[in-house]
This record gives sequence, C-alpha cells and structure tokens, in this order.
Amino acid sequence: MKKPSIVLAGLLFLGVASLTAAEDRKERVLNDRKEVEASGNWIYNDLPRGFAEAARTGKPLLVVIRCIP
Amino acid sequence: MDKFVCVRLVQANALNLTLFQFDYDLTFTVFLLNADKTIYGRFGSRSDRKDAGKDISMEGFRKALAGALDLHKRYPANKALLAGKQPRPTRFKTPDDFPSLAGKYKPTLDYEGKVVQSCIHCHQVRDAERRFLRDDKKAIPDEVLYPYPMPNAAGLALDPKEKATVTSVGSGSPAEKAGFKAGDEILTLEGQPILSIADVQWVLHNASEPATLTAEILRGRKRIKLALDLAKDWRRQSDIAWRTTTWDLRRMAAGGMVLQDATAEERRAAKLPEDALALRVNHVGEYGDHAVAKRAGFKKDDILLSVDGQTTHLAESELFRYLLQRKMAGEKIPVTVLRDGARIDLELLMQ
Repeated sequence: MKKPSIVLAGLLFLGVASLTAAEDRKERVLNDRKEVEASGNWIYNDLPRGFAEAARTGKPLLVVIRCIP
Repeated sequence: MDKFVCVRLVQANALNLTLFQFDYDLTFTVFLLNADKTIYGRFGSRSDRKDAGKDISMEGFRKALAGALDLHKRYPANKALLAGKQPRPTRFKTPDDFPSLAGKYKPTLDYEGKVVQSCIHCHQVRDAERRFLRDDKKAIPDEVLYPYPMPNAAGLALDPKEKATVTSVGSGSPAEKAGFKAGDEILTLEGQPILSIADVQWVLHNASEPATLTAEILRGRKRIKLALDLAKDWRRQSDIAWRTTTWDLRRMAAGGMVLQDATAEERRAAKLPEDALALRVNHVGEYGDHAVAKRAGFKKDDILLSVDGQTTHLAESELFRYLLQRKMAGEKIPVTVLRDGARIDLELLMQ
C-alpha cells in the first residue's frame, strides 16, 4: 500500500477533489471509481475481497461507505 | 492508513445490514473492524443539512484510526469489551429485503447503463423501515423517528477534533446532573471503548428509555465513573429537521409540506401567544404523494393554528411524532390555518 497523502484524505472525506459544478451525478459516480481505483490504496465496492485481504495480511479493515452526492 | 485494508463502498445495494448498522442519513461513514467482522468502532457524524463537515475532522479521524489499531493489537484478548459495539438482530438482512425496495434494484451498480438510478442510497434504508411500519399500521417509535441521537440530546457537546472530549455541558441537562465537565474525555460508555462521536451515538441509539448509562471519563490524570441518567422521551431532544429521511416523514404526516415555527413577529401580528401552535408552511410539495397538502388546499405561508385539535406549541418534528404515533395512513385530520387574517378549515390526509 502507498503512504496516505493529502489527496487521499480529500478523496476519503469529499469524494473526488476535482469535481466541478457542471459535472452531473453520473460523471461523479464514474469518476469516483476511476480516481479511487487509480490511487491504488483502495478496494472498490468489493467487500469479500477486503475481508480476504484482511485475513491474509492480519490488518484491520477500514470500510468507508460513501454516498456520492 | 497503510496499516489498514481500505475498502470503499458507494452503494447500499445488497449491503449487509446484519453487519453495517449506522445512521443511514449519513453520506459518509466509516467502519473499523477485524477480518472476523468484529467491529472496533465507527466514525462519521452529522447534525446539519448544509455543513456536512461540522461534526467530523481529519484530526478526529486520525485519533479514531489510532484507537482502532490499539484495539486490534490487543485483540482477541479484549473481545468481551467490544461485545456492545456489535450489530443488533435485524429483521431485514439487506435493503433489498424491505418490501418497498424488493425487486427494484440489482445487487451491483449498472456501470454500463443508468448507474445513478441503479443505486440504493443509504437513506432509503431508513425510509423503507418507516414505510414498513406505516404500511403495517404500526406507530413509528421514537428510536426510529430519532435515530442515532447526537450527544447534545443528553447535554454533551463533543469536540470533533478529538475522539470524544467534552467541550461544553448543557445547563440542567442529564450530562450536567451526571457530573460531566468541559475537558472530560469519555474513555468508555456502557463499557464500550469510545473512538469517536459516532461510537457515542451508537450507545445512545441502542439505549433504552429511561436508561442509566455508565461512563468512564478521564479528567486530568484521574479516571472517574459517572452515571448518565436519561429520562423517558429523552430522544425527543434530537433535531431531525436536517435529515434527508425527514422528507418522507413530511410526505406521511404533512402531505408534503415543510413547516417552520412562526417568528415572534408573525405571532405578534396574528395575536398568537408564545405557547400556541403556529407553524408556517414554508413549502408545499408539487408532485405525487408530496402534493397531497396542495390538493387539499394548503398554501405556502399559511400558518397552522390547530391540527387534530392540538393548539399548543409544537415544533415540526413534534407534530410529526404526534401524528405518526397516533394516526394511521388513510385517516383525515382536521386542520385550521391562518391565511391573510382569516381562519380556514381544511382536511389533511395521512399517508
């Protein structure tokens, strides 16, 4: 896993940092997946994989449930 | 965060409600848990419609993560301490199991098609729970009307930059009577290690009425035990006006109207005493089930003076509670409104 960054923190709290008001909700949903997956730090919408990874590594899980507005 | 396996879920479709129980009005919530599904803590709180960040901070989040790592290091020796943090039995295992949502959504989002429309939003879980009770001709109980109370319902204001540190104590509140003071750090509540304001809300959400909650606090270097007595009806101190799910309560109880206490000036102009019911109609819904009030003749800026014979002061949420616990869908309620100086009698259909 890469080290956390300000960008990652922004992703976590606000969704996708690069949004503009003109983007519609569909774009936001699609961009969220693209950008969060590209960060390399997150397992996206795949909880069983998360649990398997936690069992394998012995790490705890951090599960963010985020409704993209 | 590299000490965690990080998972991001952006849908409630097929969400495991036997595990993920939280304030479904939130648009951002975090679970910290073990691979065996034991929950260490929750993070994510909200009490304002516009300012979603008022009750959370990165500092508080970092401290919650550190607390979870500490619990993880001591696990499973501390498993008994965590028992109260675990989910409660639930009738519906996923959102899709609720009758009002069944068959309408697939387990995964349709990224190739209408992705937005394919998503079950978290607030729909709470909406579906209330609708289930309503359709079943049951009163909606306080714990469903006032979910996940913020600690201020008990008189505690907590610092969002800390895990659970008291910034102020309400005068005359249960917290003041229990002996809480500004600066106290809540270490445990009902024996549960507290990592966040959300953890405090979890305890409050599951508290009975009345209840006495045991808190262990750190004051300076001293650990002190306090007993927080919560009276019957204590949840009703919670503000629910900001919640997305209150929109559906407005459909059920007010035919789609948004109501707000009349101002002191409006009361003076209408010669209404301070303790009289005076709820101004701020908005009347235009479409479908949210236009029931409009079709019944209610108009924006009407002032409700009497509802089902109730003429004493009630806030919007108090009126909803009164109606949703006593009146079933299909009943018609007499309402008197003030409009341009004249009193007009109307009927409001409960849904």
